[in-house]
Amino acid sequence: MQEHPDYAETAFTNGYEFTQGTGYQLPEYPFVAPPELTSGEVRRHPIVVVGGGITGLTLTCLLAHYGVPVILLDEDNTVGVKGASSRGICYAQKTLEIFKRLGIYGRIAAKGVQWSVGRTFAGDDEVYSFDLRQQQTLSLSKEPPFINIQQFYVEGFLVERIYQLAQTNPGVELRWRHRVTGLEQNGEIATLSIDTPAGTYSLQADHVVDCSGSHSPFRGWCQATTTAKKGDDRWCIADVRFSNPPPAERHTWIEAPFNEGRAVWQHLMADGVWRIDYQMPPDADLPSMSREDVVRARLNAQFKRELSPEECEIVWVGPYAYRSECLDMLRHGRVFFAGDAAHVVSPFGARGGNSGVQDADNLAWKLAAVVEGRAAPQLLDSYSDERREAAQFNMRVTNRTTRFLRPVDGAERLFRNAVLSLARQHLFARQLVNTGRMSTPNTYTHSSICSKTGGLATQNTALTWPDGTRGELIDLLNWAGSRLLLLVFGDLPASAARRLQDLALQTDVRCVQVIPPDSRASAVEHVIDQEGHLQASCHVFGHAWALLRPDSYVAATGESIDTSLVHAIAMALGTRWSLQGEIA
Amino acid sequence: MKNSLNFQDADAFYESLLDAHHGLSREQSELLNARLILLMANQIGNTALLQACIAAAGEPAPRPAMTPHLHGT
Repeated sequence: MQEHPDYAETAFTNGYEFTQGTGYQLPEYPFVAPPELTSGEVRRHPIVVVGGGITGLTLTCLLAHYGVPVILLDEDNTVGVKGASSRGICYAQKTLEIFKRLGIYGRIAAKGVQWSVGRTFAGDDEVYSFDLRQQQTLSLSKEPPFINIQQFYVEGFLVERIYQLAQTNPGVELRWRHRVTGLEQNGEIATLSIDTPAGTYSLQADHVVDCSGSHSPFRGWCQATTTAKKGDDRWCIADVRFSNPPPAERHTWIEAPFNEGRAVWQHLMADGVWRIDYQMPPDADLPSMSREDVVRARLNAQFKRELSPEECEIVWVGPYAYRSECLDMLRHGRVFFAGDAAHVVSPFGARGGNSGVQDADNLAWKLAAVVEGRAAPQLLDSYSDERREAAQFNMRVTNRTTRFLRPVDGAERLFRNAVLSLARQHLFARQLVNTGRMSTPNTYTHSSICSKTGGLATQNTALTWPDGTRGELIDLLNWAGSRLLLLVFGDLPASAARRLQDLALQTDVRCVQVIPPDSRASAVEHVIDQEGHLQASCHVFGHAWALLRPDSYVAATGESIDTSLVHAIAMALGTRWSLQGEIA
Repeated sequence: MKNSLNFQDADAFYESLLDAHHGLSREQSELLNARLILLMANQIGNTALLQACIAAAGEPAPRPAMTPHLHGT
C-alpha cells in the first residue's frame, strides 16, 4: 500500500536518548488499513482507548478479558518508546496482582528480577539496610512486594495477551500507526479524527480513554486544567551491563562521594541490565549530561577504575527532569484521562507506571458494567473521584521524597544533615531518611460508591477449594469477571442462604461462602479459609460479608444478609435500588 | 531514651516541620527551632531523659556527613 506522505513519524518528546550499545530489538506490529478508509463510513464504538503505553494496554487487556469490545489507537507500531528502551522498571504487588488476573504474571516473574536486600549510603557510610524477605510476613499476597523488569517487556506481554483474547472476542482491535488529530464531543458521543499512513478517517465513540501520556493533546482539546509544580532537580539514567556484575542488591546513595555528593540509585532489571540513575546539579543541561564520555566518566568514578566497553556496555542513556502535575478532573464529558495523561509524578517510589495500571483497573470494570447495561452511567464519575484522590496522594508522597533528595538551602538542608548524622547511630532517625516510599494500593476515603468500611484494597491471598486443592482470591475474581463478588464469612442459616440465593438471581452478583476449616458449608459455592488470611485481607472479622469489586477493592462490608447489603450492591454500581428490584 | 521508631507518621511530621520554616530568614528559622525545642522539652519533662537527649545530640557522629556540592558545579 502507498504510504500517505502526510503521516509524520512519531516525535520523541520525552527527552530519552539512545546511545551506543546493542540495546534492544523492539517488536514491530503491522499497520492494517481500517475498513473505514475504503467505505468512508463513520462507525460508532462503545470504547476507544488512545495510546498503547502501559496504561492503555492494561486497560485494553482488561476490557478484552471482561469480554467487552474495545479499539486501541497507537501512533507508533511498537512498545516502549521508539528508539529507546525502558522507562518504568519497578512493578509493585498490586500491579503484579492485576497482571496475574490478566494471565501475564508468569512471564513477568520469569523474565524479571526479584531482589530483597536494599542498602542506603550517605558519604562512604551505610546509613541502613533492609531485607524484604524478613518483612514478607507482613504481606498476605501470593505476589512479591515488587519485581524489576523493563517496561517494554510488560507492554509486549500485554500486546500478545490482547491478540490472544481478540481471537475469541472480535470486537477487540489494536490499530497501530493511528494518530488522533482532533476531538469533538457532545453529551452523547465523541468524534475522533485519525491520521494513518494510508489516509485519514473519523470514528465515533461513546467513551474515549486518553492514555497518551504527559504530552496528551486531549488536555487542550478538553480545556482540562491542571495543578502543577516543577522543580530544578535533574537526573541521568545509565542502563548498563557488566561482564563482572556487582551483588544483586538495591543500593541508594543520598550523598555519593563519586557523584559530587549527590544521590545515586543502582538496581538490577531483566537480562542482567543495571539501571544506575545519577542526580545532576540543579538545572543542569540535559543533552550535555548524556554524552557518552560524560556517562563513562561517571561510571569510572563510581567503580573507581577505567571500565572498558567490554567490561561495561552502555545499553541506554536517559537524562530527565520531572514535574508533579494532576488534572483537576479526570473526566471531561465522554473523555476519561488515565496514566501520565492524567497525572505526572517524580519517579521516586515507583508511583508513575504503577498508578497508571491501577487507573486502568479502576476504570475497566466500570466501563464494562455500563456498556453492558448492568450499571448506571453515573458509575463512571466515581473513576475521577477515586483515582484523583489516589493521584493527589501520590503527588504528596513523591513531593516529600523530592524535598529530601533535593533540599532547598536553609532549613531543608539543615534538617537533612541532622537526619543523616543521627541515622548512623539512632534507629528512629532512619525512618526520616526518605529515598522514596514504595507504591502501595491507594485507599478511597471519599468515594460515592464505597461504604464507610469500604474503599480498601484486598490482597491476593491463598484459599482452599472444597476438594482440598489450593486456589487464590484471583481465581474467584476471575470467575466473577466484571461483576461484583460477595464473600460471606462463617456459617449461614437456611433463611439467610435463601435470601442470598434470591439476591444473586436479582442482582447478578457472584456469591461465595467462606468457611473456616472443619466446618460445614450451606452454600454450593464455598471455599475454605485455612489460615484466615482471606478474611483478614477483606478487613472483616467473625460473621461478616465483604462485597468485592472486580478491581479487588472492598466496596462495603456488613454483618447480616439484609437491606444494608442490597443498598451496598446498588451503591457499588452507581444506582439506587428499590425493594421491588428495579434500578432507579 | 527511646532509640526505636516512635513516630506515628514520620513523613508527615517532617513535612510540617519543613513547611513551618518555609519563607523564613535564617534568624527567624533559628528562633523557630529554639522555640520548638523548648516546647517539645516541656512535653518530655523528665530531667534524666532531657539530659540524655542533650548528650546524644552533642555527640559527634562516627564520621561527619560529607559536605554536599549541590551548587557551583
